[in-house]
Amino acid sequence: MMDIAFTDPHATEKMKAQEALYNVIDPELFVNVIDLGLIYDLDFGEEAAINVTMTLSTPHCPMGEAITNGVRNALELIFPDRKVTIYLTFDPPWSFEMLTEEGRTQLGV
Amino acid sequence: MADIHIGKAPPNSAILPFYATGAIVFWLLCLLLLLSSGALTTFYFNPHLLALVHLAALGWGTMIIFGAAHQLLPVVCERDLFSPVMASLCWYTLTAGVALLSFSFWHFRAGWTMITGGALVVLSACAYFCNAVFTSRICSHYAVVRLFIVTSAAWLLFTVTVGLLLAVNLAFPFFDKNHLEILKLHAHAGLAGWFLQLITGISSKLVPMFLLGKSVKEKLLHYACILQNAGLLLFLLDGYFSGIHPFRALLYAIIAIAGIVCWLLYLYDAFRHRVRKSIDVQMKHTFVSFLLLGMALLLIPVMLFAENYRWTMLYGTFLLMGWITGIILGKTFKTLPFIVWNGHYKSLSGKVKVPLPKQLYSEPWVVWQFRLFIAAILLLAAGIILNETMIIRIAAVVWLAVASLYVLNVLKTLLHKTKIQ
Repeated sequence: MMDIAFTDPHATEKMKAQEALYNVIDPELFVNVIDLGLIYDLDFGEEAAINVTMTLSTPHCPMGEAITNGVRNALELIFPDRKVTIYLTFDPPWSFEMLTEEGRTQLGV
Repeated sequence: MADIHIGKAPPNSAILPFYATGAIVFWLLCLLLLLSSGALTTFYFNPHLLALVHLAALGWGTMIIFGAAHQLLPVVCERDLFSPVMASLCWYTLTAGVALLSFSFWHFRAGWTMITGGALVVLSACAYFCNAVFTSRICSHYAVVRLFIVTSAAWLLFTVTVGLLLAVNLAFPFFDKNHLEILKLHAHAGLAGWFLQLITGISSKLVPMFLLGKSVKEKLLHYACILQNAGLLLFLLDGYFSGIHPFRALLYAIIAIAGIVCWLLYLYDAFRHRVRKSIDVQMKHTFVSFLLLGMALLLIPVMLFAENYRWTMLYGTFLLMGWITGIILGKTFKTLPFIVWNGHYKSLSGKVKVPLPKQLYSEPWVVWQFRLFIAAILLLAAGIILNETMIIRIAAVVWLAVASLYVLNVLKTLLHKTKIQ
């Protein structure tokens, strides 16, 4: 799960981004990408850019393109002056431990 | 950290015609079953039953599986489909081929219509084989799934080529072997080569994905591949050169069944280690289909040693209308709504509130489809065992209800209009 430290200079932006990403739902699992633990990092370090490091629940998820599009669209909507770049990684691979409590409840785990 | 390529789905125009045609053929199949219920009480080599079997195997099973496989190949291989045009060619030739073949069998017109139908089906299998081989050629991961996709495509090509030769042999006899013996080899190459291996490959990818389950026992899939192919190859070679001998055929069946057990153990391991505990109705369809596969396998010794053809009929029914139909009825609503949803909402996701894929079809209809499917297969099996046309006719009515629900739900999904909430 992505942690946001209060000492992080971009904590406000990250919290705004996280709020927006709660609206991006995995269409198959019906759980948002934050509670699924798919977002590994949101990097606001570069000016006019957001670098998102994220994963998918399975390496060849047929809905992968829809999910990454959803993340890009949601962030571009609230940060129109920043270019969103998504870095997809499977290192570490997604696992059950990455679900938040809310994600576990929604999945009926 | 690399920007990993996600397999891009082929255009919907290359995929959806398979689903639409498959659904309509399934409805037609159930209607014809009602019109010729008596065909299941006589010897299996009869015109109406041959038409029904080819409609079920090619127009229904293969049609839907082609659609799903063309969609899944890029996902498995993390690459675009080699040729969407070839996928469309595959649909045109299969549809025309099935229409000609079924018409010829129904009226039992051995000759050029039947041969043309068979040739078109061979062309379709060639197009599919090329797409499968060239898409998976550059696939660097998931070697076993890829292997199953390629071997099943090769078995399909073999099966339909033998089928074409059988069609030629009916009009212009040239086989020095018994036509019915070759027919058995043709049927088993299709069932254990094409359907079994494709379903093994695709399900070992899809079932863990849907359940969020993982199995580290991938070796089981390697054993499954070796045993399924070894059993089938031995059966075909021995059957062709020495004739089908019940004891030896049973031994080859046991080898292939050991391969099936390995595959099911892999799925069970993924099931045990799943994150998603709730089982939806589509997955229940899949489990029931596996049970029906098991029942068909239990019938093999009975079929081999009993003289009565009704066990062969029951065996074929459990495989085509039980196992293959069951898995398709469930998996359709695990794949089609997502394919259609992707076409409508992939670019809108995150921008506006969009419906979920499960809102594109009616879930209560799938629940009823599941209940009626169980009733239909049990009634049909009872009708065949008791050799009672009336029970088969009642079963056919229930099948028609299953098919009607299925077609309406498929159409509801296919005709979905973009809705922004």
